[in-house]
Amino acid sequence: MNKLLKYEIRKTRSAKLILLGITAVVELAFLAGLYLVKSDDNSLLIVSCLLLFMLAMLGVSVIGLLSVLILHHDMNTKESYMLFMTPNSAYRILGAKVLENGLSILLIGAFYFGLGFLDVTLLFAREDSLQQLWEMFDQILQTISHEIQINPAGIACFFLWFLTGWIATITTAFLADIVSTALLKGKRFNGVVTFILFIALQSLLNRLLPLFSRYSAMNQRFLIESGINLLFSGLTYVGAAEIMRRKLSV
Amino acid sequence: MSMLESKEITKVFGAKTAVDHVTLQLDAGHVYAMLGPNGSGKTTWMKMAAGLCKPTGGEIRFQGEPVSIESRKHVAYMSTEPYFYSWMTVRDVGVYYSDFFQDYSAERYRQLLQRMELTEDLKTRALSSGMMAKLKIAVTLARDAQVYMLDEPFNGIDLLARDEIRACILEAASEDKLMLLSSHLVEEMEAIADCAVFIREGKLIECVDLDTMRTEMGVSMTDRYRQIYGHAGEVQA
Amino acid sequence: MQYDANIPIWLQVMTMLQTDIATGQRPPGEKLPSGRDLALSCSINPNTAARVYQELEKTGLCVTRRGLGTFVTEDTARIARLREELARQAVAQFVKTVKELGISPQEALRMVTEEENE
Repeated sequence: MNKLLKYEIRKTRSAKLILLGITAVVELAFLAGLYLVKSDDNSLLIVSCLLLFMLAMLGVSVIGLLSVLILHHDMNTKESYMLFMTPNSAYRILGAKVLENGLSILLIGAFYFGLGFLDVTLLFAREDSLQQLWEMFDQILQTISHEIQINPAGIACFFLWFLTGWIATITTAFLADIVSTALLKGKRFNGVVTFILFIALQSLLNRLLPLFSRYSAMNQRFLIESGINLLFSGLTYVGAAEIMRRKLSV
Repeated sequence: MSMLESKEITKVFGAKTAVDHVTLQLDAGHVYAMLGPNGSGKTTWMKMAAGLCKPTGGEIRFQGEPVSIESRKHVAYMSTEPYFYSWMTVRDVGVYYSDFFQDYSAERYRQLLQRMELTEDLKTRALSSGMMAKLKIAVTLARDAQVYMLDEPFNGIDLLARDEIRACILEAASEDKLMLLSSHLVEEMEAIADCAVFIREGKLIECVDLDTMRTEMGVSMTDRYRQIYGHAGEVQA
Repeated sequence: MQYDANIPIWLQVMTMLQTDIATGQRPPGEKLPSGRDLALSCSINPNTAARVYQELEKTGLCVTRRGLGTFVTEDTARIARLREELARQAVAQFVKTVKELGISPQEALRMVTEEENE
């Protein structure tokens, strides 16, 4: 499994490096706007802030999309032999992909979160006027935090919820792509069917979640939904791996 | 018990039947030449034996057990097309095999690369088709597998290098191993193969011992190939 | 090495070895290459190489000593007989060709003597 994981990580390396490269450029622009521009013109600062925010969003989406594209490539080109001639079960092959994606999203998430935190701190440290704004913001947070429980446990629950939801999305997408490649290859509308399958499974999950968690408090709700997400991920993962094992011809 | 055995194996792609109820037993200790024009089903048969392609019907057994994850440990398959990841160097290809195949020998790989005149720092993306063909053979034969299936090992390889390839194939062949080669270059295999499997339009025509055929029918493998696939396309007795 | 693909390859390699033995290039008692080495050096299938030794052994031209390998026979009378067999084969071929050309055996013999004296 470690070996498979190693190569899955290698496959996403270039895309991640490009993302990091672009982020580094925009971050430099942000720092330049912060420390080098002496005039009152804040446009560089504002634009780079916006770009960084968009990059963070984009980065997370790209990681998800990329993993589906790589799976698709790994099943539909000659490079598929690399994976499928090795003595690794479909469960392991797919498992390495899910694991790689989970780790990536954690790392990328932590990276952008950390960078955002750093930049906001720098921004407030420099602009006195913003200092007051920050205090006000802090005040608001303090007031509402009683209700939504912003504390380490709450944050942990939120991240768990986000991560499990993410993995459920990825395994659903994997299942849809494997169904398309293994069962519908060469059939008409296979792309459409795949897309509909993905949407259907996702909305099924989204309908399922509130059924169980509707009446719970916030953190509990995150935990219950995380559990359902995990269960759903497990089912789609097993389904995807079984179809791969029985039906996939590369 | 045969080393590799297919029972009524069939593969249908849409409207085309690529392999049509082929029943075939291949034993260890032989070098088989699998022959037939393009699209006759050789590659599909091999891919099913390698577990890459799932049959529509019938089954293939390796040492009595259906082809599985387990059999991949002992079956070394080399496809006609290049299949290495585009970012790989020749060295990376070796590392990949050593990561996944217990029967792989880095030492053997190094020797084979030397004989094929390849160096480890070459990028696979930049290889000529001939060099790529040699690399595929080197890394496949660096495994100490029980079954070797080489699909078109002489494709893209110039006349001089073919002798070297033939020598490498013969070195890998032994009493307890099965070697299955497919090629359009029938003459290249006259001396190194001892059995031939003729396939046409997905159907098995015959599996023969070559020296017996030469003695009894007085024809070479190449002659027989012409008889089977020649002008009329009808099998002549 | 080039082989005539219409004739069993073991027969061709065997003929080659027989010639080596008859001409003394492989003297009596000499160790012959292993089946595997023969296959590699002649670029032939290992089973074909094994067949070559089987056939040579059957005709008494070589002996296999378990664990030691295959050797040219030390029976010089047998080798002498081989030499004669090969010579007769060559003569038979010669006669056949000459006959096809419409030349009488006597005339052919005269030509052989002439060739010899040149």
